[in-house]
Amino acid sequence: MTVAFYILAAIAVLGAVMAIALRNVVHAVFSVLLFFSALAGLFILLLAEFIAAVQILVYIGSVGILMLFAIMLTTKVTGDPTHNLLSRGWAWGALVAGALLLAFLVPLITQTQSETISKLSNFNPSVKDLGMILMDPYFASMGVIALLLTAGLIAAVVAASSASEE
Amino acid sequence: MNNFIDYKLIELGQWAVGLFNDYPVVQILVHLLLATLPLALAFMAAFGFSTWLERKGLARIQNRPGPNRVGIFGLLQPLADGIKMLLKEDIVPDRSDKLFHLLAPVMLMVPAFIAIGFLPLGDGLMSLPLDSAILFFFAVGSLNTIAVFMAGWSSRNKYSLLGGMRAVAQMISYEIPLVLSAVTVIMIAGSLSAQEIVASQQIESWLASGNLVKEFFGQILGWHIFKPWGFAGFIFFFVAALAEANRSPFDLPEADSEIIAGHLTEYSGFKYAIFFMAEYISAFAISGIAVTLFLGGWSGPVIAGLPWFIIKIFSLFAVMIWIRGTLPRLRVDQLMGYAWKFLLPLAILNIFVAGFYYFSEQQFGGLTTFIGGWIIGFAILQTAAKGLSRLNKSPTINGKRVYQLVE
Repeated sequence: MTVAFYILAAIAVLGAVMAIALRNVVHAVFSVLLFFSALAGLFILLLAEFIAAVQILVYIGSVGILMLFAIMLTTKVTGDPTHNLLSRGWAWGALVAGALLLAFLVPLITQTQSETISKLSNFNPSVKDLGMILMDPYFASMGVIALLLTAGLIAAVVAASSASEE
Repeated sequence: MNNFIDYKLIELGQWAVGLFNDYPVVQILVHLLLATLPLALAFMAAFGFSTWLERKGLARIQNRPGPNRVGIFGLLQPLADGIKMLLKEDIVPDRSDKLFHLLAPVMLMVPAFIAIGFLPLGDGLMSLPLDSAILFFFAVGSLNTIAVFMAGWSSRNKYSLLGGMRAVAQMISYEIPLVLSAVTVIMIAGSLSAQEIVASQQIESWLASGNLVKEFFGQILGWHIFKPWGFAGFIFFFVAALAEANRSPFDLPEADSEIIAGHLTEYSGFKYAIFFMAEYISAFAISGIAVTLFLGGWSGPVIAGLPWFIIKIFSLFAVMIWIRGTLPRLRVDQLMGYAWKFLLPLAILNIFVAGFYYFSEQQFGGLTTFIGGWIIGFAILQTAAKGLSRLNKSPTINGKRVYQLVE
């Protein structure tokens, strides 16, 4: 478990760093995808298989492809390296971002009590439980979201079909 | 129950694992190997056989003999092809992205092999028995798109890039009707687990009745394809599955007569063979999930379990070959329009039909709903399909056609 966690965490960090550092836009997108898949692996380690599946389906399958789609519609699709990504003041930006992250994370880490192992032993999440929770106390919000997404889908189809007629 | 082949296989596996009781680490490894290796080898063998089946089937449709030199009926042709592919030179374009060019076939093969692990081959015969197997299957299936784009982009060839773009557009479009038509089954079965979906397609009271005739038909008549929403859903699912697997008539990403094989243009030798293997195994996996969702999975009379699953998968594959030998390729604009303006609204409507069918079954009982549901459901879906095709009809061109490049 612990070894798997460290391997996946290392892959995730590597992917995130490469996404920022690489000069080639398409390579950067694929590094982000590597980061997402390592996250999915971490979710599986946490016994959250549903979230892992959604992570793959939504982030890699949809968001990643959306990013590739966006690149495809630009001239950057040839994959020539961009030169102006790293400006001179990058160190200041990194400093501010790091300070902000630490300011939020350090208090959280110190406040959290690590009694997770005893809780994990009688913790057996299943997709069925998740469905029960979503469909019982949170039914109204689920319904609104479902309606909104369906309306959006139909609206997209209508917009696309009326544009093609002209 | 008569799943004796499944139970014998499981017993055999348990016996083999039991041999290593004294070595826990080895036992885990043996368990993993037993869960994965036979499946992978069986599907690779099925790939070899299906290439022969496809070539022979297409040849017979076109009045040719097909492969008939290597072995009886040319049955050893896949083996000869495999050796030929291994010995061929592997050419990598000079300006291509070397790493991605190498990774693309691997990226395509890994999800294909993960996907077959989610298929319920028999009662309890499943490599990855997860609660949310169906969801995982679609999640893993969506990774194919990325691999095809990777191949098209890394080759640095305009035809490859066009093929990759076409593949991304096509696969995103058809994933929506694919998943929406599967949603009906998930909704009725009330589970994302493949085994429970199969169990929901068996009529339990008939199986337990002891009457031989009822036991026989209890394994068949419960299949979702015999319900109005299931029949329509199966057709939508199968059409979308053809597009997802890049099979004809939706083989636009690799259309050889337009963009000389698209993302495959710059691949040769064994990488090309791996591409083909991954595509065939994806086609098998997606027909396997179609069988699970609509055709009753492994349930069937007399020899329920693995034999029925194999029969059903190969029947669906034969239909794919038949379609390839019959239908011409779609145009790009027709392809996108068909997914968004025709399949998608019908798939959404089908969800409502399934919901009404489910509640009327509880209200009026099985047989009344069955007969009434077929009439009403068929009428609703047929009217919607007619209306949609009238709405989507392209304007007819009156008068003489004007050609720009030909006099």
